[in-house]
Amino acid sequence: MNSLLTIRRIVVAGLLGAITILLGATRAGFIPVPTPLGDATIMHIPVIIGGILDGWLVGAILGLFFGIFSFIHATIPMFKDPLVVFLPRILIGITTALAYRGLKRSNEVVAVIVATVVGTLTNTVGVLGIGVLRGYLPLPAAVGFGVAAAIPETILAAIIVVAVVLAWRGVAARRRTADL
Amino acid sequence: MESFEVFRHVTIGQYLPGESLVHRLDPRAKITVVLLLIAAVTFSTSYTAHLALLALTLGLIALANLPVRYIVSGVKPALPFILLLALMQLFVYGEAAASAVRGTAVLWQWGVLRVTAGSLRLTLVSLARLLELLLLVSLLTNATPTTSLTYGIESMLRPFARLGLPAHELSLIGTIALRFVPVLGEQFETILKAQASRGANLRLGGRLQFIRSAQQMVVLLVPLFLNALLRAEDLILAMEARCYGGGRGRSHYVRLRLRAPDYVAMALALVFTAAVLAARNALP
Repeated sequence: MNSLLTIRRIVVAGLLGAITILLGATRAGFIPVPTPLGDATIMHIPVIIGGILDGWLVGAILGLFFGIFSFIHATIPMFKDPLVVFLPRILIGITTALAYRGLKRSNEVVAVIVATVVGTLTNTVGVLGIGVLRGYLPLPAAVGFGVAAAIPETILAAIIVVAVVLAWRGVAARRRTADL
Repeated sequence: MESFEVFRHVTIGQYLPGESLVHRLDPRAKITVVLLLIAAVTFSTSYTAHLALLALTLGLIALANLPVRYIVSGVKPALPFILLLALMQLFVYGEAAASAVRGTAVLWQWGVLRVTAGSLRLTLVSLARLLELLLLVSLLTNATPTTSLTYGIESMLRPFARLGLPAHELSLIGTIALRFVPVLGEQFETILKAQASRGANLRLGGRLQFIRSAQQMVVLLVPLFLNALLRAEDLILAMEARCYGGGRGRSHYVRLRLRAPDYVAMALALVFTAAVLAARNALP
């Protein structure tokens, strides 16, 4: 058995990956917001939740899922560049997990919120930053897009991730006592 | 009730048993063919290439005896978004598309709305691409049982295992994900109905009310995630109870062997993709 990929990590990554596919395939993962980009994505939420609940490796694998999905569905040239599509998405899981691990001792809720913000910004800054470096976007446009996309996406993600993680902690605690 | 049945339309990942030539191909050959064709679909922007690809994918679906109507029904819930996106691309991306895709000629203009040959191409090609990708992925997942798909992926990743890549584990993650898409889809539908029957207003808020949208998503997403995580716990317990030990030293009851039709299929796909990609800027 691979010592990093335990049964738990394999299964949790698989199930959250299924949610990623579901959100993407049905377009339920896109929420209308008042920005020029039109829709905020919540496709990164399974990635963040995976990173918080089961560590950086699960987060990175889920990021890869998200990347594959946006690569296949992309319609504009920028999102056909594997570097733009995959690297930031894999990093979402890693930065989220690290931020959460660093803060969870002080306060669970704060740690979850900060980790979500870090994860969402990794996505926005990473995608647009690499987009600028690779010459798909001029810098001012990228900054504009970034601010416009990051604010609603961060708020949406924080509300949903906090709700899911705290609810799961409650359910898991109850299950543990029930099993005994 | 129609509005609650969105997720029954998830057709990707449902195996439809059959005896066709496509069903009988080696999963590795099928994966290779589909990946090659996805590359052709993704990187070509010419009308001719997409007509050829559309004809080819439809032909393959017919060869596999899969019901096109069933596969296409998977897009139904996404249709409004797809059309909205298409209209946006057609009218708003005129300038950007003209430089990115060939076609600077302005075909129609009214105020800021402008249709260029480039944006028309972008729109039509995107729609064709969506349909082709849907058909290709369906071809793979509807005509291959999930287990043989896993064995196929695992055996294709095995050369990388020497570099430390956990091929077996990664393919297992992919299988679990694909396997649970329809299950969680049905679950999501149940949650939608349950919340609606309690009087929840599930229509997303307008663009300026995105916090309200988030609150509405919470009542749907929290149960969905909890359900998925509970299923994960059960599956973990089941696998541990059966002493699941990963891929090392594991043998298979059915051994995969590439036969003549598999080589022919892969060779044809390679030639086709190479031709389409080589001619992608030359064709109209």
